[in-house]
Amino acid sequence: MKSSASPPDHPGSTSGPGTTPTKPGAVTGWLKRLFRLPWAGAIAAIIVLLAIDLMADSSYLAVSYNSSTGHLVGNLIDIMRAAAPVLMIATGMTLVIATAGIDLSVGSVMAAAGAVSMEFLSNNQNAASASAALSALALALALGTVLGLANGLLVTAVGLQPFISTLVMMLAARGLAKVITGGQNARATSEPFRFIANGYVLGLPVVFLIALVIAASVALVCRRTALGMMIEAVGLNPRAARLAGLRSRGLILTTYVVSGLLAAIAGVFATASVMVVDVSNTGYLMEMDAILAVVIGGTSLAGGKFSLGGAAAGALLIATLDKTVLFLGVPASATPAFKAAVIIALCLLQSQRARSWLASIKASRRSRADQTEAVAA
Amino acid sequence: MTEPGPNRPIVEMKGITVEFPGVRALDDVRLELRAGEVHALMGENGAGKSTLIKALTGVYRIDAGQILLDGEPIRLSGTRDAEAHGISTVYQEINLCTNISIGENVMLGQEVRGRFGINWRKTHAAARAALELLSLTGIDTRAPLGSLSLAVQQLVAIARAVVRHSRVLILDEPTSSLDAREVANLFEVVRQLRDSGVAILFVSHFLDQVFELSDRVTVLRNGSYVGQYAITELDQMSLIAKMIGREFEAYQEIASSSVLDSQDDAAPPALATTRLTRRGAIAPTSLSFRRGEVIGLAGLLGSGRTELARLLFGADRAESGSVMVAGRKVSLSSPAAALAHKIALSSENRRDEGVIGDFTVRENIILARQARRGWARPLSRREQDELVSKYTRAFDIRPADPDRLVRFMSGGNQQKILLGRWLATEPQVLILDEPTRGIDIGAKADIQNVVRDLAASGVTVIFISSELEEVVRLADRIVVLKDHRVIAELTNGPDVSVDAIVGIIAREGQTP
Amino acid sequence: MKKTCLAIAALALAVSLTACGEDQGTSSGGDPTTGGGGDELITVGFVAVGPEGAWRQANEQNMQDTFTKEAGFDLKYAPATNLDQKSQIDAFTSFVDEGVDVILLSATEGSGWEASLERAQEAEIPVILIDRGIEPDRTDLYVTRIAPDNVVVAKGVAEWAVSQCGDSCNYFTLEGPAGVSVVNERNTGWDEVASANPQLKKVGAQTANWSTDEAKSVFETVLKSNSNNIQIVFAQNDEMGLGAVQAVEEAGLTPGVDVKIATIDGTENALKALADGKLSFVAEYNPLFGETALDVVRKALAGEAVESYIIVPSTTFDSPEAAAAALPERKY
Repeated sequence: MKSSASPPDHPGSTSGPGTTPTKPGAVTGWLKRLFRLPWAGAIAAIIVLLAIDLMADSSYLAVSYNSSTGHLVGNLIDIMRAAAPVLMIATGMTLVIATAGIDLSVGSVMAAAGAVSMEFLSNNQNAASASAALSALALALALGTVLGLANGLLVTAVGLQPFISTLVMMLAARGLAKVITGGQNARATSEPFRFIANGYVLGLPVVFLIALVIAASVALVCRRTALGMMIEAVGLNPRAARLAGLRSRGLILTTYVVSGLLAAIAGVFATASVMVVDVSNTGYLMEMDAILAVVIGGTSLAGGKFSLGGAAAGALLIATLDKTVLFLGVPASATPAFKAAVIIALCLLQSQRARSWLASIKASRRSRADQTEAVAA
Repeated sequence: MTEPGPNRPIVEMKGITVEFPGVRALDDVRLELRAGEVHALMGENGAGKSTLIKALTGVYRIDAGQILLDGEPIRLSGTRDAEAHGISTVYQEINLCTNISIGENVMLGQEVRGRFGINWRKTHAAARAALELLSLTGIDTRAPLGSLSLAVQQLVAIARAVVRHSRVLILDEPTSSLDAREVANLFEVVRQLRDSGVAILFVSHFLDQVFELSDRVTVLRNGSYVGQYAITELDQMSLIAKMIGREFEAYQEIASSSVLDSQDDAAPPALATTRLTRRGAIAPTSLSFRRGEVIGLAGLLGSGRTELARLLFGADRAESGSVMVAGRKVSLSSPAAALAHKIALSSENRRDEGVIGDFTVRENIILARQARRGWARPLSRREQDELVSKYTRAFDIRPADPDRLVRFMSGGNQQKILLGRWLATEPQVLILDEPTRGIDIGAKADIQNVVRDLAASGVTVIFISSELEEVVRLADRIVVLKDHRVIAELTNGPDVSVDAIVGIIAREGQTP
Repeated sequence: MKKTCLAIAALALAVSLTACGEDQGTSSGGDPTTGGGGDELITVGFVAVGPEGAWRQANEQNMQDTFTKEAGFDLKYAPATNLDQKSQIDAFTSFVDEGVDVILLSATEGSGWEASLERAQEAEIPVILIDRGIEPDRTDLYVTRIAPDNVVVAKGVAEWAVSQCGDSCNYFTLEGPAGVSVVNERNTGWDEVASANPQLKKVGAQTANWSTDEAKSVFETVLKSNSNNIQIVFAQNDEMGLGAVQAVEEAGLTPGVDVKIATIDGTENALKALADGKLSFVAEYNPLFGETALDVVRKALAGEAVESYIIVPSTTFDSPEAAAAALPERKY
């Protein structure tokens, strides 16, 4: 009735006075587009988790300025720092998975890269100097690259299945870490190296900024060049891609090298944080976190279309989940079950089959309603 | 159009509407299949034939309409469910499992069970019996399906339906990869099945076959129902007119007048091979191809024509022999290398080696061009748009939506997109392996015209087709292959005919 | 089928490759004394934990230094792969099959050992538990357990906590992985004292898997969720305690003043941190009991009776000075 009362020159306006007729449509359209994103679920889950934290403690989201250190302090800052290593390996893992491969070795490569940098610094007279820290960093990245290259060659040149190749590397790289440190947990002191994981720039943790810049650059390179499309083509239909003139082997090799390199960066993050490499625990089971982040981000394990933004959202979700479990004080024994429940719920929400099942329930309800209406009429 | 007593309808589809995002693929279509008839489903590519079949078997959800089986409304949930209700489908793109054995493919879900689970010996015996019904003798049912040619795989798919004692058999382009003898075999089996009361829905682009085999025809056009006719009511011209909706003149004779008059004989050939060899694929072969020439490769399936094409493109590597491009010796170690030398190949296997279904029309068209430029120099959006709109318009790709996923498009449109992909690489030598298989006459004529135009502009086209008429109509020169070697090279002229080529193939090897 | 076989073969190869990389201390394989027949050496199979931390490193090194050829022993050292119990059970079984004279066992997990121990008993091979106990504690299945007593050590830490607490204080526990017997024992000892002293208020417990970086990440969040209102941290090993120190510093607090951190183990790194005032209390969990073990092995083989639990004496360090004094002669 109200709409008929609205001025004739606004025929589309059915809303109350004071609102412009176009805006609600624009906002819902924007929202709809947001929900169609493959990683909308991850963002929604992060919001839900943060809301739960906020219910537990109304100041959870507060970020304050610590005048003595000049840092921003808060749970959100902690989440950023915790997300950085996962973000790195998830980025590399996304590319590998897009080629219909998998890299199970990232966690062990983290340990090996951390081990080589710690061992180098602990034996270095000038460990406190920036040049020593840079050398340690370079060594770690070089080792990660070499291990990634070995993975890639096993897959492309030798023709082993990615699962097997990287499983071998998963065992070998952790063994290598132990050999490097002689089986011990190596520790070292180097302020510049420690800064990588614990420093702050403009009040924000430098480790998160580095991770963000690297992830964004990888995404930019993939999308602004033809690399992303080529990787997808190889993952979707390797034979057609080859016949279209793509050098599939080179592309696949590249993804494993990038994954190894990014895993080494993650390893540096993890060890620089405490300046200890724990050869048994550093990076332990991190490949699972990376794979989860990729899947949560909407990239299919079958390969093909990938979303680096989705993987980043997935990495943030995993960090938020870890921190939420701690913040809520979930008993240690119940933690794995709690995490699994959240992730299964999310995967269900994203599953095409579950979605169409929900849709069909809705549709049948509607048609039943239609029928009863028709009968009533 | 009165209904004879015993020929009651088994399947009735009424008012079928199927919508995809943005498109209405079927609009109020009906179809009636009776026991003991062969019913042809006709229409151009994209008319909705495949969609209708998938709606019947429940692969697609119907948005409106009703499906009756024996007068009872049903809703099937997919191929498996349809098979359980006695409706078997043999798809155009064979959807069997190439990595399991032939016998398992035939008997999947129908294995003979004994006291200790599946009795594999009896299962394979039953599979062999079913294959023998189709005159496929001497096949090792324990070999993987992938070891068979596409043609035989097709017959295996039909054997699968025979084993199930299906009451409705849907044949979607069953003959597109079969040779004449295999087609005759197949039709014999189809008639047997029909006489035993099976309702057969037959989809084919070969008009001759439709008239030979069918009892009734349903015609679709642009997703709408045109009509249902007894085959005796129609002749080929009137059927085509109903399919394309206008009087037919698109299928005009393409003159095979030579465009080679002005060729300088001294110029090096665009492509030449010297004793090019690969064991099991092609015996030592020396051929040369000139600029602007259309060369037809004729021969039966498995004669070595596809194998030769793959060597020329670097898809497989030659074991010995050499290749010259424009007078320079080159190494064709990979498709990428061949593309760099401006050689392109459109594979016969459109699904596995051609289009990337989850890519858009745009991505599919630019893929090879981009591969040649390298990843670091992406085509700008404007360059992409130019290429895409050029080929969309030139080949009348429908719908003309560059951002549509290719797997939602019909076979003929996919083939045109592939042609666009290869032309975008600006090839000097274009090899087309079965570019017109399984596509409608309109698209076929379009592609044949493109071939002539390319040749006129100086491109060398190597054209492979199982339809000898097509080869004879298009080619300047015909290379005949048999048993993995070249047995004849003919310059096209008035004395060259389909019969002449068949004669050469038949005679060769019989009188050593 | 073929592919699966290939995969399994590759996996087996990979495992053996990495195993080669790890056990530099092993004397198995190619050693002429393997099998023990006719030779004077006593073959000892050591099912060990492997790389886990400095304490474990010292303990297992000490064992290897004690059971030497000179002393008349052939020690076969078999560390677990990534602390995995499965790899330990495999090693244990192969020692039984080989017919070694004695087995030393440091179990990564307490439960699930009955079947293996029964096999050893049938083969009449005495088993001596080193450090870690088993659950349920079937004393009939092994000769003796030699270990510093976790319950006693943890009680000592808790008593120190009571002395530091005053009228009321909040404490937090950083635990090892759930289910490990050490964790249960250290909790038992602590809780015995804490339950009798209500001024000690527990704000929570989380696992940090013995690891420094996890402990840092866990404790930074725990501090935030409790508005920094935690006075005492009970870290069940040194590594986690050192992680907690970093989290405290990160939060702008001073370890040893705002938050006092107590750890168990007594490694060199922990004593250094104590000497620097970062840690406040370190209870030694003495790893050097190779001599005791050697004694027990001789007795067991001679058929003499041995106590079912031999407690290795440990000390505590409660001040920077005490730590500094002990540092020069710290072996681990």
